[in-house]
Amino acid sequence: MATSTPTSADIPAARPLARKRARPGDQIFHAAVFSALLIALAALVWLLISVVAKGATALDWDFLSSQTSSRASRAGFLNALKGSVVLMIITIAVAVPLGFAAATYLEKFAPLSRDELRVITRRRRRALELRRAAGELTGPRLLASRLGIALSAVWARIGPPLNTFVEINLSNLAAVPSIIYGLLGLALFVQIMGISKSLLAGGLTLAILVLPIIIIASREAIRAVPRSIEQGAMALGASRWQAVRSHVLPAALPGMLTGTILAMSRAIGETAPLVVVGGVAFGTAVPSINPLNAANEDLFAMPLQIYTWVDQPQEDTWGPLAAAGIIVLLVTLVVMNLLAIWLRNRFTRRW
Amino acid sequence: MADSRLTSPPILHRPTEGRPEPRMELPELNIQADAGLPPTADEVVVFQATGVNVHYGKFLALKDVDLAIHRNEITALIGPSGCGKSTFLRCLNRMNDLIPGAEVGGTITFHGEDMYAPDVDPVDLRRRIGMVFQKPNPFPKSIRENLSFGMKVNGIRVDDDRIEQVLRHAALWDEVKDKLDQDAYALSGGQQQRLCIARAIAVNPEVILMDEPCSALDPISTLAIEDLMRTLREEYTIVIVTHNMQQAARVSDRTAFFTVQQLDGGDRHGILAEYNATERVFRAPEDPRTQDYITGRFG
Ligand SMILES: Nc1ncnc2c1ncn2[C@@H]1O[C@H](COP(=O)(O)OP(=O)(O)O)[C@@H](O)[C@H]1O
Ligand SMILES: [Mg+2]
Repeated sequence: MATSTPTSADIPAARPLARKRARPGDQIFHAAVFSALLIALAALVWLLISVVAKGATALDWDFLSSQTSSRASRAGFLNALKGSVVLMIITIAVAVPLGFAAATYLEKFAPLSRDELRVITRRRRRALELRRAAGELTGPRLLASRLGIALSAVWARIGPPLNTFVEINLSNLAAVPSIIYGLLGLALFVQIMGISKSLLAGGLTLAILVLPIIIIASREAIRAVPRSIEQGAMALGASRWQAVRSHVLPAALPGMLTGTILAMSRAIGETAPLVVVGGVAFGTAVPSINPLNAANEDLFAMPLQIYTWVDQPQEDTWGPLAAAGIIVLLVTLVVMNLLAIWLRNRFTRRW
Repeated sequence: MADSRLTSPPILHRPTEGRPEPRMELPELNIQADAGLPPTADEVVVFQATGVNVHYGKFLALKDVDLAIHRNEITALIGPSGCGKSTFLRCLNRMNDLIPGAEVGGTITFHGEDMYAPDVDPVDLRRRIGMVFQKPNPFPKSIRENLSFGMKVNGIRVDDDRIEQVLRHAALWDEVKDKLDQDAYALSGGQQQRLCIARAIAVNPEVILMDEPCSALDPISTLAIEDLMRTLREEYTIVIVTHNMQQAARVSDRTAFFTVQQLDGGDRHGILAEYNATERVFRAPEDPRTQDYITGRFG
């Protein structure tokens, strides 16, 4: 380090502040991104306007409360509405428990590596031998414990690679086209399990369709809860499950629900898989809203009904009905998305 | 260093099976001690680490540590960052079990029993050996729920008296008595940390491990927590990691100085360089590396 203090002669004169200058590159880029936004918005606005213009006259209480019919003047949206409600109930009832449980497992329990599992198994085996030697374990209980330990030894070998495989393929599954899920549903539920082509088959198909989405979103929500929360609980003598159940899952729940709602808003608009598992748009029976009857109800759904109406040759008569149906579907979707946004803003924590 | 420790009993506090007894019984134990047992508290070793090595995967983070931690004392672990202080602390309540890839070698006994024996239940162990983390980590729930969770998990009856008692113990009662049902994250950082200490005390641990409990706190909260540690020492054994040497000098009875050993091959492991009474470590360190560190010459 120099010991002499700098003199004024060593300090160069300060450069004057630079003046503003034009930066054409910036302006062009700004204009480009802004017009991209405008084009996207314009398409959306045009769609909305044309749909509302066409459907507003048809959209009234009669439309919502009368059944579908082969005569356009009498046809209403009731079958489709009730069908979609039942589909949503079934999808939620199946996909949410499975999805949340799978996400919890993948995020909190699966990461135990093979080595750890082996150590745990070894410890369990030694503990078992100690208890056996002490005469605490006999007969069938001893056998059951032995079997459990043998299974966990097997799991220590095949479990971790299997988990990795599942994890990689989850995101692939979420990207599979929905019609493939329709075919899967047809094969699995209708042909193999013998469920009739009904709301139940449709709901189950939608459930497997949204399952990967729910799992991925829930995993993210669980991962957003800091590990220190779980460790804090375990440092108090809680087991891992107690820590996860009492603290991690409640803290992750808003995020998990947000993901679920978004997944549901995808399911409610799906048409292709329902066509494959036998969706209908005409019929005399209005499905009951009771999901327990779903196996006997025809597979009605909002997007199916709209699709069929749009497909009719007489555009003038069926067009307004289809447009009115689209409005109902869009409003439902907007409400669901608003709910998701509200949930996220209201309950998400910054850690 | 003659103080109350010398009169504490050499009786190991071993909770009976099942429901833990409330901590309030300790005065009775003291009476027993006065009735004739020799004042050998300093000799009561709670933890004895022998040849402890900790690996994270292939990386040897901590090498060959021998260390005895004594009952009703505050033991400070100091040393440069990355030397394995937190790693060692986590060995003492088997928190390393929760870290993928971490592997503890050597032996650590707790009251003479091997903590890492295959049939030892780490969940029960962690209740007896509480931990306070570097960053306050209250549960995202009310203050009351923060305290009651550990008690419920451990089968301790939760009532308002107990909550008040624990909060008073943690010098937090006056500040929070009117907002027990409010979210714990509405508290200041220092209050959150004292809540975490209260939460740890609420389950009647025998030992409290603290990993840089004041590093995220302002000086006033830091002093409040140091005061708290001095009172807690009467009943608990405390191990504290700190990077603040004044703090170690102010509160601790013994100080362990960890440092990083750089081998020729480029490998770096943490080692224990010196362990002694705090006064000795700060007044007359035996190891030149300790000397360099405490005088600020550490490179
Ligand atoms: N979970 C972990 N995985 C891998 N390496 C770790 C982990 N935790 C700590 N280490 C490494 O172990 C060494 C000691 O870390 P730590 O105990 O946190 O040091 P200190 O608390 O003294 O700053 C460091 O080199 C650190 O990088
Ligand atoms: Mg640390």
